[in-house]
Amino acid sequence: MGNFILAYGEYHNGKLHPASLEILTPLREIADKLKKKLVLFLLIEDAERLKEVKALERTLCDEIWYLESQEFKDFKDDLFGKVIAELVKETNPYGVFFPATPQGMALAPRVAGELGVGLCAHVNAFEVEGETLYMLRPSYGENIIAKLYSTTLPVMATVSLHAFPIREGNKRPEIKEITLKESVKFESKLKIRKVKPIKREPSRLTVAKVVLAGGLGLKRRENFEKLKILAEILEAEVGVTRPLYYAGWAEEDRMIGVSGVTVRPKLYIGFGISGAIQHTIGMENSEFIIAINTDKEAPLVKMAHLSLIVDAEKFLDALLRQLKEGGN
Amino acid sequence: MRIILCIKGVPKPETVKVDPETHTLKRESAELILNPFDRSAIEMAARLKERYGAEVIVISMGPPNVVPLLKEAYGVCADRMILLSDRVFAGSDTLATSRVLAKAIKKLSPFELILMGLKSADGETAQVPPETAALLGIPSLINVKDIFFEKGKIVAVRETEYTLEEIEVSPPLIASIYPKLDYLRPPSFKRLLEVRNKEPEILTSKDLGLKEEELGLSGSPTRVSGVFEKKFVERGEIWEGDPEELAKRLIILLKEKGFLKA
Repeated sequence: MGNFILAYGEYHNGKLHPASLEILTPLREIADKLKKKLVLFLLIEDAERLKEVKALERTLCDEIWYLESQEFKDFKDDLFGKVIAELVKETNPYGVFFPATPQGMALAPRVAGELGVGLCAHVNAFEVEGETLYMLRPSYGENIIAKLYSTTLPVMATVSLHAFPIREGNKRPEIKEITLKESVKFESKLKIRKVKPIKREPSRLTVAKVVLAGGLGLKRRENFEKLKILAEILEAEVGVTRPLYYAGWAEEDRMIGVSGVTVRPKLYIGFGISGAIQHTIGMENSEFIIAINTDKEAPLVKMAHLSLIVDAEKFLDALLRQLKEGGN
Repeated sequence: MRIILCIKGVPKPETVKVDPETHTLKRESAELILNPFDRSAIEMAARLKERYGAEVIVISMGPPNVVPLLKEAYGVCADRMILLSDRVFAGSDTLATSRVLAKAIKKLSPFELILMGLKSADGETAQVPPETAALLGIPSLINVKDIFFEKGKIVAVRETEYTLEEIEVSPPLIASIYPKLDYLRPPSFKRLLEVRNKEPEILTSKDLGLKEEELGLSGSPTRVSGVFEKKFVERGEIWEGDPEELAKRLIILLKEKGFLKA
């Protein structure tokens, strides 16, 4: 049992979600180490449209499986969960992995619940020791990483967004249609009766070259507004820690860290951020990290390339004044 | 119409301790606050109660120190409070937690709607609402922005990454609620006074017909094999001094590195 690994391909309207390609990167390594086949699978309403998905031609997986039904046109949590659980029961994969997209987060727990197996959330690193697959994720409150494993098969996890880069494979994977042996009724209790497109500006935070992030050490909201002025001068994007998001200073797509966004800028400056792991996990790969903090022992100060031991509020004021005077 | 509102107590961030043996959070010793994400679920319950006269039962799984949080929810809109409490629940992962919630919810049949927060601020998995729904064999939706009833059907509005959808479903449904509703009402003073002398009903594993091996650490398929501290790169450069001087030095550095026009 379990000689292959399933990765969920989130398909919508002719496109594959890039996060589904991201998760293939660590899964390829795991599959090689454990000598398993890697299969990307998707649920699609019209298999003809697979041709539109150019990304599928050069992926890291060995095979691509699809299940086809008109009912898969819109994402229906209960139906997709039932179908994937049945697919797992019939094919016995070693593991099933989902990107931690909103859809993946809605779907993976339904599948795990149907199967009665363990599910790890927001995994951002894997380790293989012997035959065991360990999944790593930050833990709450303290600066620690928890190393988890599952006592049930298939091993299941959702994988953090942007935690892994997309890599291309060098062979064209075989594409196979899968039909379920058991006659599962492709019926959902959810009836999607109206769909409105949403226009959302994608946050430029994830691709920004310079990121200025604010934490509780900024003390007052008006200081965060000052940080935005500095961001304009430096052509930077602003981000926040979780407490500031909770306080309503910024939208969720500005929150850096676990369950937020991951950034990899050339320059990251943290203003009044102590550096809880929930935040640092989302910025630790920045090329040059500057911490502005009064506390020499703060975790962000320890991990920064340069730390300015100073009150973030006063420093920001001084910096803005000097930049204005200097004509920048 | 019956609505079951599930809330959770989360440790106040500064008070969290990890059990050195099991590596799970020690909830008994921590100061618990209402999971901030649950406030929207409570507000949604209050709106539906106002609009349709629904009965709201608030339930929470946790140690006895979550009772004040149940009372807080009562202060906003709950009619009944139930505490799911048993030492064998401790250390439950999302699957074991969902088992407890599913059994408790079933015991409260018939119900139309189960509301939960999008996720908890401590575990942040967001898994419990869909997992509980799968165990109950009922549909689930996450990140729901609005709910209304129409001719006996539930209509839920949810935003996905791609579209805004209006979804019709026959009850029951588990919905986790979008965390940023435009308004969150505070508890009413009158109701807080009223609840002072009330205590929640308590249900244990026995009351729910659950076996010990399905619960707590032994009933949790995800295990923590260890925790380790995040290692840092070698300590970088440290600058100390007054703000003006440091600002001056930083501007020079930013220019040198090309982040600021010279």
